[in-house]
Amino acid sequence: MSQVAHGDVGAWEKTSRWVNRRRKWVFAAPAMIFVALLLVFPVVWTLYLSFTNSKGSVRAPFDFTGFENYFTVLTDTERFWPAVGRTAYFTGGALVFEVILGIAIALLLWKPFKGERLVRVAILLPLVATPVAVGMMWRLIFEPNIGFANEFLSWFGIPAQPWLSSPDTALSTLVFVDVWQWTPMVTLIILAGLTALPEEPDEAARVDGANWWQRLWYVTLPLLAPTITAAVVLRGIDALKTFDILYATKGKGGGSFHEVETLNIYAYGLSFDYNRYGQASTVLILFFLMIIGLIWILSLRKKAANK
Amino acid sequence: MKHRVALKAAALAVGVLTVGALAGCTTSGGEASDVVRVTLANHVWTDLIKEKIPEFEEQTGLTVELTQLGEDQLSDQYNVKLNAGTDEIDVMMYRPLQEGKLFAQNGYLAELDDRIDAASDWDWSDFQAGPAEATTYEDTVVGVPLVTESEVLYYRTDLLEQAGLEVPTTLAELENAAKLVSEANPGVAGFIARTGRSAAVTQFSSYLFSFGGDFSEQGTAAVNSPEAVEAYEYYGGMIHKYGPQNVSTDMNWAEASAIFAQGQAAFYTDASSLYQNLALPENSTVSDKLGYAPFPEGPAGSKPYSIPAWALGLNSGSGNQDNGWKFIEWATSFDTVLATQEAGVPGARTSVWDDPAGTSSFPAALAAAIQANAQNGVGYDRPLVVNVAEAREIVGDPIVVGITGGDVPAAAETAEQKFQAFLDDENQ
Amino acid sequence: MTTKSLTIAGAPRRRKFPWPTFGRAVGLTAVVVTFVAPLAWMLLASFKTNVDIYDSSKMFAFLPTLDNYGTVFGQANYGAYIWNSFFVAFVATVLSLVLAVPAAYSMSRFVMGRSAMVVLLARIIPGVSLLVPWYFVFSQMRLVGSFAVLILSMMFVSLPLILYIMMSYFDSMPEELEEAAQVDGLTPIGAFLRITLPLSMPGVATAGILSFIFAWNNFMFALVLSGASTKTLPVAIFDFVGYASIDWGGLMAAAVIVTLPIMVIALFTQKYIVSGLTAGATKG
Repeated sequence: MSQVAHGDVGAWEKTSRWVNRRRKWVFAAPAMIFVALLLVFPVVWTLYLSFTNSKGSVRAPFDFTGFENYFTVLTDTERFWPAVGRTAYFTGGALVFEVILGIAIALLLWKPFKGERLVRVAILLPLVATPVAVGMMWRLIFEPNIGFANEFLSWFGIPAQPWLSSPDTALSTLVFVDVWQWTPMVTLIILAGLTALPEEPDEAARVDGANWWQRLWYVTLPLLAPTITAAVVLRGIDALKTFDILYATKGKGGGSFHEVETLNIYAYGLSFDYNRYGQASTVLILFFLMIIGLIWILSLRKKAANK
Repeated sequence: MKHRVALKAAALAVGVLTVGALAGCTTSGGEASDVVRVTLANHVWTDLIKEKIPEFEEQTGLTVELTQLGEDQLSDQYNVKLNAGTDEIDVMMYRPLQEGKLFAQNGYLAELDDRIDAASDWDWSDFQAGPAEATTYEDTVVGVPLVTESEVLYYRTDLLEQAGLEVPTTLAELENAAKLVSEANPGVAGFIARTGRSAAVTQFSSYLFSFGGDFSEQGTAAVNSPEAVEAYEYYGGMIHKYGPQNVSTDMNWAEASAIFAQGQAAFYTDASSLYQNLALPENSTVSDKLGYAPFPEGPAGSKPYSIPAWALGLNSGSGNQDNGWKFIEWATSFDTVLATQEAGVPGARTSVWDDPAGTSSFPAALAAAIQANAQNGVGYDRPLVVNVAEAREIVGDPIVVGITGGDVPAAAETAEQKFQAFLDDENQ
Repeated sequence: MTTKSLTIAGAPRRRKFPWPTFGRAVGLTAVVVTFVAPLAWMLLASFKTNVDIYDSSKMFAFLPTLDNYGTVFGQANYGAYIWNSFFVAFVATVLSLVLAVPAAYSMSRFVMGRSAMVVLLARIIPGVSLLVPWYFVFSQMRLVGSFAVLILSMMFVSLPLILYIMMSYFDSMPEELEEAAQVDGLTPIGAFLRITLPLSMPGVATAGILSFIFAWNNFMFALVLSGASTKTLPVAIFDFVGYASIDWGGLMAAAVIVTLPIMVIALFTQKYIVSGLTAGATKG
């Protein structure tokens, strides 16, 4: 009995030692393998399809067409490039407002005050609300005839706006929705950055007679720059890929004039509405490359700034 | 080296274990089974059939597992699942004119000819000719029509009376009436209809046919014919001139019918199947002032679409087709169709329409309008192609241009070229 | 630190009208109203009949009805959807934690930037490109329509998130404690399990809560990969957009039901959520 137990302990110890020595990979590998398993096949498959004319059904026979899809897509000024433009407009517009408002609100919340908890909870609500439900909610609020938005404007004598229903205003309205939902996240990130700032530079500037605005502009914001960059990267990736609220408010195709058709919505439409799988894959690959390119540029800038 | 292999094996084992443990809760199966998996769209018909399913289960001893989805979500799911050759769906509710050709071409829909021949009591010949044709692909039946609809004219009885007008029977009269009513009632639009580029195409089709045009003729695009341009100008012009101010160019039936239901429009043309949105007091403020008329006559007569909006098909990848067919047979039997039609959902069986009970639930004027439409009707309401979604966007463009007051002939010319290129591409 | 800043901010101006304080109060009120009002309106609409929703004069004064909630729970099978959502989000979160927390520890301690990047790729890739291939593979494995496939797809969202949060959490934890424990005879893994992990529980809580929220809210994967018996709440919302009618009242009630549980969770755990969202970001 005791001998067997002893043998077990020996084996156990051996394994334990082995595992401990390689804990770096024993810990990291399962997560990496999980992600890789789910990631590799789709990426390879999408890359492969992007060089074919697959359409109708992915199981239907298709031909290898080389770079034809890339040529078609990159010269398509009717759907692809406008979609790139809209993606940039949506992401850029949302980021600008979210960062400015995020900083402003974070500054409001910075120093302690009565009811702090209540305010924090209030700004947390949009952030955690289910995006599809939020999309439906705004769809009703922005309904031109029965929605609350126009009723609200009428209190101030402002004429009714078409909001989501006009090609001119739909995308901007959705930028507003995105700003409403995600400014809280930027606020919270920046607030954390503010709380972690050293106090000395601010003190020194105060002693030198700098006013509130000068201290903010020349001292606080430059110190906050890394935090702001981090917020921009985090939010930027998600904004580029926005799907739920666009789908919930305007459906496939992004409206009659494709007025809210971003790259993600365009790729979705090509796949699930037009069944042009080859072309959809090409758009997705280009989209993916664009996101990676943007992140790369940002990380280069960050490195340069760190030096 | 050895260690690395062992490590990989261990990691793989962890992964497989995770997946395996999770797989414990799977419910799927591909072979014949007592569980019939039915996928249906959100529709009044679905609500009615849901209540009757226990009857079916009792009769056959089978169990029905129902998935129910919105129209767009349904087609998204089909596109993913059927593409991957799923056997998770046995019976599927689909739109013959929207997806039918694509699904049939891809071989997603099982052939039903033998089953139909065997079921002589069920009687395939009882189904109306137009709808039956729409569920037939290359002379093979691949679906059974479920719900039919046609375009009718909804109007406000009070506003017409007030203006001293008769119910319009021609498109010219309709335009005149819309003009007079909108002038007499500020804030009320004379006319409303769908305005979304793709959504409007089906409702525009009746205008196109009634002006003597069509989307294509013998495989050649025809959307720039003089008749088609006239129809585009009429439809877009009606909304541009007599529609609500700041009209959205993104309205589907939901938005358009809401405007009418709130009492903000005098005339509205749309599918007959929408009438409960306007006729039921809990949805509509004009339910007591609502009139129905057949689609007005154009230069080529009254030619509304009269189509099967939905049909049931069998998934060709399913291993449970025999039991799936039992469900279809039951759901489209005379008794079931009569019951659902009595509850307000127009079906496709001639014998049910001939039965007085079959039309008893509809407002008399609506039943008359539907039956008049069925006589003159055209069996499709959108281009008969494989990639319908893309085609609708192409031929829908001049509609939107007309609504915004733009150059319709030029837009029709552009649409013609694009549509021709599209047809060439599809037919090669 | 906070008390210090309080005295600095509060001490000097007393005599003049406190414009800064007043302005701040106005600003804060505006912020709260902007963020809460739309949600409050959604709540109001869920108690209205469709006719009242269409009537803008009944914006605030209307006869509240519970019918919409009756529809949601009666007609649609919402009880089951709530359970599905909860089950999927919960299991996905637990499994993601099991995989991601040790990985984050390892990647933080051994500075494995490139490996972390591989996992974070999952956050960058557009979800659309995953749908058809995943469905194809999972259906070959007979997993579609099961909870397994939903859980796997949600884990794909949760895992990178947890990894990201926990990496920055471990980065900020001193290594000395673990070293001391090892001197006392614990193995490195023992030190991780007995010392580091218990100390990092607040971080784990944060990551878990956020992962739960994201999995609960996920729509795109659930839309395509859920089946009859596994439908989750965000997909079920579309039950109220039918072929020939939109039931706005029911839709708003459904939206309230989807968002309410997650908001209640947020209310009680706001401290952790705030620290999780801000994790790592401060270092840039």
